[in-house]
Amino acid sequence: MAKPENSLIRTARLLDLVPFLMTHQGVAIAELAKSFGTSIKEITEDLNTLWMCGLPGYTPLELIDLEFESGFVSISNAETLATPRALDRAEALSIYMGLDLLHSELAESSTPIAAQILELQDQLKVLLISTPQLDIAANLASELRGLILRAIRQRGWLEIVYHSIANDEVSTRNVAPYELAQVGSHEYLQAYCDKAKAVRNFRADRIISVTAIADQIWPQSTQGDDEARIIFSVQINNLSRLVKETFPDLTEQSPELSGYSQNWIIRTVTSLAGEVEVTQPISLRGEIAAQAKRALANY
Amino acid sequence: MSRKNERLVNLTIALLATKRYLTKNEIFRNVEGYDGNIESIERMFERDKDDLRKIGITIEVGGLDPLFDDEAGYRIRPESYALSLQNLTPTQIALLSLAAQAWSDAAFNDISELTLRKFTSIGIETDLSQLPIMAPKFIGADENLRSVFGALTSLTAVKFEYLNSEGQNETRSLEIYGLQARKSHWFLIGMDLIKKEIRNFRLDRIVGGIELTGSQNSYQIPPDFKVHSAEPELSDHLATLKVRPGSGYSLRRLSTSSTSADEFDLIEVPIISEEYLVNLILWHGDDVIVISPPSIRTRVISELQKVVAAHG
Repeated sequence: MAKPENSLIRTARLLDLVPFLMTHQGVAIAELAKSFGTSIKEITEDLNTLWMCGLPGYTPLELIDLEFESGFVSISNAETLATPRALDRAEALSIYMGLDLLHSELAESSTPIAAQILELQDQLKVLLISTPQLDIAANLASELRGLILRAIRQRGWLEIVYHSIANDEVSTRNVAPYELAQVGSHEYLQAYCDKAKAVRNFRADRIISVTAIADQIWPQSTQGDDEARIIFSVQINNLSRLVKETFPDLTEQSPELSGYSQNWIIRTVTSLAGEVEVTQPISLRGEIAAQAKRALANY
Repeated sequence: MSRKNERLVNLTIALLATKRYLTKNEIFRNVEGYDGNIESIERMFERDKDDLRKIGITIEVGGLDPLFDDEAGYRIRPESYALSLQNLTPTQIALLSLAAQAWSDAAFNDISELTLRKFTSIGIETDLSQLPIMAPKFIGADENLRSVFGALTSLTAVKFEYLNSEGQNETRSLEIYGLQARKSHWFLIGMDLIKKEIRNFRLDRIVGGIELTGSQNSYQIPPDFKVHSAEPELSDHLATLKVRPGSGYSLRRLSTSSTSADEFDLIEVPIISEEYLVNLILWHGDDVIVISPPSIRTRVISELQKVVAAHG
């Protein structure tokens, strides 16, 4: 299921152009290029190629008839390719799963929509030789995502309720959102935080609720203070998977790490149960021992 | 390059338009672009067939005339070429488009665009008015998920190197039955061919690529298989914890019951993975105390002792 090479992507695009043009007669070349995720130059080359194609015989009677000199494209005499191409199995599976994700977001009351989704999934099942079992949940509920994306577009402030695992607290803060992006395997909201007076990254799956705030002035400077990082060194006692996943950059040779908050470092190192130990700074090392002793005193 | 594209489009049109099988000779004589000596034309045609197959077009071979048994014929059936989704409503077009867009930030951006274009080309207006706000995204998909799709759509077993909990790479072999996507993590669930039992594997713990091994259609997904069956029954195993009021938010979110007792709250949480729960309890330091089960209580105490010993 590797990506096909470039010349084949081109062939597929040529074939897909025909049904698109049939249902979008008179579309502007620039818009066509955008719809196909390519440049005006490329799409014009495509049109010039298509223009030479048709049924055997290849006289004007058989060739696809394209008009695009005006900057707007119309097509005729292309009935053979008029229907969009079938979904291949990988495409069918991706849509089947996407529908599952949509289904997982529906409220109980949306049964007519659920029925339409199931009906589509039944049609897609026919294209798959076997239907895998799925258990899919959204990382960030659509309702929240919708509000965040709209605020980013319109430069509007949001009030978010956020679960900080480092501080073990749920707090409400006003933020000016810049970007929702995937970094590594997680999704983050990058935003100017009014509480911190600086840009902060919020894990999308820890955002509990979002409300739009009207008429707050967009922050002038996006700079703010950079979050001060705490530098610390560790010794690895057991390089387990958990240690590797918690500190992906950690090696025996470079035992220096950094973290945004003392709380986060203490909790992380404690939960690793002695597989790594903090060697520097000494005060941090002492604090970890003291907190673990307090926890032990509970038993 | 564009000559080749032109030839492939012309070949597709000719094979789609024909009501009967076309022989190679008919194709070479009539389809534009097959020029040169017979060996090179033959090679060209073989490559063209492969190329069309790679973009998902099935060329049917047949029509062997018993009198001329050396002449195979070729055609593309319109019903296999064309999108088969029937009687779509404007709301369903919207649902299909949203389903395609869910992949737009992931490793499947190309598939997302291609399918979206096909849905737009159907020529039915999208109607979002019946739908609640919906814009879900798949997060955390990587290139290996493509191989997983390949395996699932051909029922081929897979082999990969997996980072086990000790931090070592281990070769695993799996017949994939299902997929789970939770909190930006993907899990493959299926029959572990080495352990001979149902196991799940986190996609981002696979080291390197996923290799498809053995033949296609080599297994069946059991019809009664449920992804949840790979997890222990949630209600069967509960841990009872004392949690300081105003803290332990992650644990409270998992809890099935909660009561207030003196200076602590008493909560019950399902034990989905003992290792995970122990780590989460340790994360909360002296804000959480394990009451039961004894196994977790003992383990938390001994882990805390290790932390003290390491930092003492």
